[in-house]
Amino acid sequence: MNDQRKDILDLLAEGKITATEAEQLIAALEPALAPAAVGLDARPKGRPKYLRVLVDTVENGEPGRVNVRVPLQLLRAGVRLAALIPPQALGRANTELGKSGIPVDLTQLRPEQLEALVEHLDEMTVDIDQPDAKVRVFCE
Amino acid sequence: MPQLVTVRIGRPNGRPIRIWVPVLPLVLALSPLLVLAVPAAVVACLRYRVSAVQALSTGWRVVGALPGARFDLEQGRTAVHVAIR
Repeated sequence: MNDQRKDILDLLAEGKITATEAEQLIAALEPALAPAAVGLDARPKGRPKYLRVLVDTVENGEPGRVNVRVPLQLLRAGVRLAALIPPQALGRANTELGKSGIPVDLTQLRPEQLEALVEHLDEMTVDIDQPDAKVRVFCE
Repeated sequence: MPQLVTVRIGRPNGRPIRIWVPVLPLVLALSPLLVLAVPAAVVACLRYRVSAVQALSTGWRVVGALPGARFDLEQGRTAVHVAIR
């Protein structure tokens, strides 16, 4: 038990403060206690290893399900593959993307940036709920 | 490196097809082709000015990261499950 909380309860037990006062004092302590508690809960139980994609659909009255589990290590390796794409190919891809109305310059994408993106994927959760489809993307 | 690839294909009528593919024996069986494929890959790397060593090591990383991957697709009574161990 927290020392300050114990002191308050002792004061209450000794009759020096009323129950209402004790409640107010404990409530005043809550913000100070909260970060520590959150910190303990937020501590990662272990680094996620997999990216999961779950899709449940109903198509023509038939239920469909997609369940994909991709090791994050595979994504990291894939990011390194992106660094091997020849500049000519990136140029062509940029041109085609531009024609499709997506003005992205792939030559500006650095492997470090992509790796940082993969590193932070474990904090991402996507939930899409529609009457005929449900999509969940998360790391585990 | 992957050891075993499991494929299960569920069909609307009939029993599902299950296939277990042991990767190492398969790689050994295909090693003559690999002996040809690796130099071809190196030539392609040189042609496109990509570091052959980096390309091979990245390729190996990708293969090494495959274990644990799983793909399950189901639609009605048809299903395909692929698991890499």
